[in-house]
Amino acid sequence: MNVVYMILLKCINVVLKLFGKQGGNIIGKIAMKLNPNMLAYFKINCPVIAVTATNGKTSTNNCIGYTLETAGYRVISNKEGNNMETGILSTLIKHASLTGKIKADYITFEVDESYVPQVFKTIPLDTLVVLDFFRDQLDRNGEVETLILKMNTFLKTYQGNLVLNGDDPNVARLGKANPDNKNVYYYRVQKYAHATNGMYEVGEGKFCPFCKTRLEYAYYQYSHIGKFSCPKCHYGEYPIYKEATNIQLKEKTFEVEGITYHIQDNSIYTIYNYVAVLSVMNLYHIDTEDIIKAFSQFALNNGRLESITIHGVPTIINLAKNPTGANVSLRLVKEDDEEKELLFVLNDNVADGRDVSWIWDINFDALAEHKVSRIITAGTRPYDIAIRMKTAGFDSQKIIPCEQLEQAVQELYQTNVKKYVIANYTALQPTRHAILGKKG
Amino acid sequence: MKEVKILYLYPDMLELYGDYGNIQVLKYRMEKRGIACVVDSYSIGDAKPDFSSYDIVFAGGGADNEQSILAEDLLQYKEEMKVAVQKGVFFLLICGAYQLFGKYYKGVEGNVIPGLEVFPYYTEAIGDRKKRCIGNIVLEVALKKEQPTKVIGFENHGGQTFGSVSPFGKVLFGNGNSFGDKQEGFFMGNVIATYLHGPLLSKNPEVADYIIEYCLERKYGETIALQALDDRFEQKCREQMLQRLLKSKK
Ligand SMILES: [Zn+2]
Repeated sequence: MNVVYMILLKCINVVLKLFGKQGGNIIGKIAMKLNPNMLAYFKINCPVIAVTATNGKTSTNNCIGYTLETAGYRVISNKEGNNMETGILSTLIKHASLTGKIKADYITFEVDESYVPQVFKTIPLDTLVVLDFFRDQLDRNGEVETLILKMNTFLKTYQGNLVLNGDDPNVARLGKANPDNKNVYYYRVQKYAHATNGMYEVGEGKFCPFCKTRLEYAYYQYSHIGKFSCPKCHYGEYPIYKEATNIQLKEKTFEVEGITYHIQDNSIYTIYNYVAVLSVMNLYHIDTEDIIKAFSQFALNNGRLESITIHGVPTIINLAKNPTGANVSLRLVKEDDEEKELLFVLNDNVADGRDVSWIWDINFDALAEHKVSRIITAGTRPYDIAIRMKTAGFDSQKIIPCEQLEQAVQELYQTNVKKYVIANYTALQPTRHAILGKKG
Repeated sequence: MKEVKILYLYPDMLELYGDYGNIQVLKYRMEKRGIACVVDSYSIGDAKPDFSSYDIVFAGGGADNEQSILAEDLLQYKEEMKVAVQKGVFFLLICGAYQLFGKYYKGVEGNVIPGLEVFPYYTEAIGDRKKRCIGNIVLEVALKKEQPTKVIGFENHGGQTFGSVSPFGKVLFGNGNSFGDKQEGFFMGNVIATYLHGPLLSKNPEVADYIIEYCLERKYGETIALQALDDRFEQKCREQMLQRLLKSKK
């Protein structure tokens, strides 16, 4: 029966393509209706690598795929970011033969945090990478702790490679989920120039998950990511598999084990993701030369730290779907010495979370001191974000809320000052298109 | 220079829904008018504060885990809190803090977390963990006896609160104290206890000014007429939200 389904599904896929549709997770949705156990149909004979996190899944998963391809391997991946069960199913259907065989050297998936147990109950998982856990759309997702506990339960019986951010106390704790798993690897990043002694932005990991003691930090890189340890049970002291050192954001370089890597962007949080990718590559014995080459070329260009020029005006666009996403974007703004203007687009559609209170967890302090000369706000909630910035001390005369996106973009390019654009989930692509449209 | 002192309870634990914004709004609106605003904080392990020496005591909502850790700590100040309320200190309590100041919180498994019993209401978790009152909410609130005003916020709570003898407002859109309730929160002259995030005061400058005015009049024993501020953004924001929410109902 499944063969018949496959023929049908592949036909639908062809039709969707004819109409210029990507398909997203539609194919997967139909497949689940036909056979709820469809995932089990596929015969996978290559390693499956998965990336999960609150932030950075798409970039990291794409970078893993890109690096493996650079090394000459054939990779199947849900590159477009359809990361729920149906999206993963869609990807497999598109690349499988009618009998469910998949020809690839590697399969890499980004997987939504809450779907990991469900998806990998059926699909064999070789390596799981966990980047970070932050508060994210609380009205949709609930508290972070619930997600972590769910993941922890799944990992209790997991024996594969587990690559964990050793600087995130909410992630590193997963390394203890299965004491019998000998394949746990922690990565970290050495203190960078803008690290702080106190927490600068909102974060989650304040108490030791094992003994409830307040964690101590040598420094914070951003949010709750940093060098932490528990003064009571010594949680946080584990051997490190890969560590990035000598972080040079201006030069866009970092080192691991004495080798220098050049990258395309200049943010502390992406360095973490690169070290995660590097850890995975080392587990599969990928040539260092190939990694160096891939890292120096990799850029996603879909609104994740995307750099473009509009009539000579440098513009940086970044997605921010939660406080930490926005805070790391503002770090870039503050770390840049040039004068700049900001466009913040805030939507409150269902996929964004209806609740916009999270913008009060964004650190908008001292924007004027960091040479932000004007702020435009837009989206379905332009005034909420304007009130937020005003309350943080930015001169309200220099804040321009716009109800229409086109009007906001028009207003933004009235001057030739460098632009930073921050947009949340459903706002990102419309904003990007409105800006790219200016390019003509 | 006039001064208002705020005590912020458990800032590192009750900080999930941007409720700290309420303090930022109060501070902003005071400083724009040349009133000094001092914010002290208290959390587990700190020396016992003199609650009655403050003009405002503020607490927000937190994650379940954090909330159960601090509930125990908070209980030791039961009597001091009651005295401070009687003396007229202003209490602004949001979400989890609203619940903690009541008689008790009864969890899904029937476990009872005792409250401070400062106010007569109590809260019971709904059996189904997935069912919560979530969404935008609009209230009609009469802060003083005069003209009622509309208050806009966002509610997100699994607990259902009963026995609020004097609610904060009448629900025009959203749920309120429990599913489909007509009433929201708890109110008396110097206490606003509510489920409204947003943060509450960011979209409701009238409520913020009510609190500031109350504190100054109490402290300095004179009638206060607060200078008007530039509230263009707030007004536009309210217009947009009221239009969207109250029109959509019809
Ligand atoms: Zn510990």
